[in-house]
Amino acid sequence: VRRDSTTTFLNYVVLGLIVIYSVLPILWIFLAAFDARADLFVKWPDFTFANFRRFFTETDGVRWLINSLIYSIGSVLIVTVVAALGGYTLSRLRFWWKRPFLYGIILIRIIPSTALIVPLFKILQSVHLLDTYLGLTLVLAAFQTPLALWIMKTFFDTIPVELEEAAWVDGASRFRSLFAIVFPLSFPGVAAAGLFTFLGAWGEFLKPLVLISSQDKLPLSIGLFKAFVAYTNVDYGFMTALAIVYSVPAVVFFMLARTFLVKSFAIGGVKG
Amino acid sequence: MKLSTYRVERLVMFLFLVPAIALLMIIVVPAVNALFISLTNDAIIGRGALNPQFVGLENFQRLFRDRNFYNSLRVTLLFVVFSALIGQLIVGLVAALLLQNPRLRFRNLAGAVILLPLAVPETVAALLWASMLAPGEYGTANRILEFLGIGSVLWLNQYPLLSIIIINIWRGIAFAMILFSSSLASLPTDIFDAAAVDGASSRQTFQFVTLPLLVPTILLFLLLTTVTTFAIFGLIYFLTAGGPARATEIIGIYIYNESFQFYQLGYGAAVAVIMLGVSLVLGVLYIRVLKVEI
Repeated sequence: VRRDSTTTFLNYVVLGLIVIYSVLPILWIFLAAFDARADLFVKWPDFTFANFRRFFTETDGVRWLINSLIYSIGSVLIVTVVAALGGYTLSRLRFWWKRPFLYGIILIRIIPSTALIVPLFKILQSVHLLDTYLGLTLVLAAFQTPLALWIMKTFFDTIPVELEEAAWVDGASRFRSLFAIVFPLSFPGVAAAGLFTFLGAWGEFLKPLVLISSQDKLPLSIGLFKAFVAYTNVDYGFMTALAIVYSVPAVVFFMLARTFLVKSFAIGGVKG
Repeated sequence: MKLSTYRVERLVMFLFLVPAIALLMIIVVPAVNALFISLTNDAIIGRGALNPQFVGLENFQRLFRDRNFYNSLRVTLLFVVFSALIGQLIVGLVAALLLQNPRLRFRNLAGAVILLPLAVPETVAALLWASMLAPGEYGTANRILEFLGIGSVLWLNQYPLLSIIIINIWRGIAFAMILFSSSLASLPTDIFDAAAVDGASSRQTFQFVTLPLLVPTILLFLLLTTVTTFAIFGLIYFLTAGGPARATEIIGIYIYNESFQFYQLGYGAAVAVIMLGVSLVLGVLYIRVLKVEI
């Protein structure tokens, strides 16, 4: 019994250390964002809401927030529709290049965007989509497509084809049954695909850094970076307020997506 | 009549796939295009910008003589091995095992807190560590060192690689923990009962029962984390831009700096081609070793 309690105590210590490691860096923004004289250091705040007021009224903060929403929601709309349609075909139709195509999706998902950024810059430049909302939104959507397609395909696999067959017997066409029966059932899959797409687009840093140059089209990630590397007027109160506004949707959606996380990491699933 | 309806349906279903293929082309076309750009002297300013010339394998020859390229490979390797393959694996596995222990209270709270570093956007994560590793005696990490009687250091200047490894372990614990937790939860319970009946100690149970059963998950983790760590850019670029003196110039930052700081698009694309090659090898390994189900 004694040894047991020692082990339990040690377990608490180790878990406590991991928790402190995880949470300690985060404390600072909650103090600094409400501090009238915020600094890079942890200190007791001189309480104020002025940093948030500055974010929402006096600076480009709201502009960046709206831009981030445009890029992310735009990507979600594109990706969910495209992945729902494509995923249905990948689930139901049999064709000879299906296997290579599915393996191809895995390989495409693994390509790091840093390796593609030079050609992406060149191509967007040549089609005049550099520094445009449409150009960046399409690129962000493209990078989320492999995972979303996979999620939708595996989701449709779980919807029994018998449900559709019953409708066909009753005289419904394939597409009627698709829109009346299958798509309404596919909401959890669409939600998962949408959540991951939003998270990916919302957090993106490299692509807007290279593909967007106009001040008024920057998303929050680049706004934060510009504020951080500014030579003058380094304003930690503003930066931490921005960081909190920027993090809230990401953290909420991440926690919602938590149940799907393992499946999304292990794209393709693993045989034991 | 019946057959033709079938054909039309099949055709329309293929059309459903067209938008997805079009979007995927936004990735495939640049990947192929990188190969072509890497064979030119393309640049953002200067002679190459106006009229890029075909230069054959010149960029690759330069690459394999470039000390900075080898430096980047070395930094990337150390970064991946120590932060992901060792750091995240051990801390994440320990966290997952502890969270399995039903006697520990506040497990769920602890599990949620450990997710936070991965949940915040990467630029916010970087900003947090700017404060954590701030120079001088008031930086949080330095306060801990002072408390331990070690004295403050200039983290990102004196120990840049160690700093970014600590940061990336912090961010990656959640991923490892989630993966191992779900794997542990799916292990058969009777085998643990059998071990208990045979009088195995908890250490023996871990070594001879749990660990062998976790091997496929560990393999999956190692492959996935290599791929994702290899692709890291913003988390490190935000803090160091690859410096000081290229000490944190992981491959993604090297490509960015060569292409957009020194404007050498052709050369940057050559590095990207090497990176693409490594990624594809990892991807094929992933499919082969883990026998992906389709």
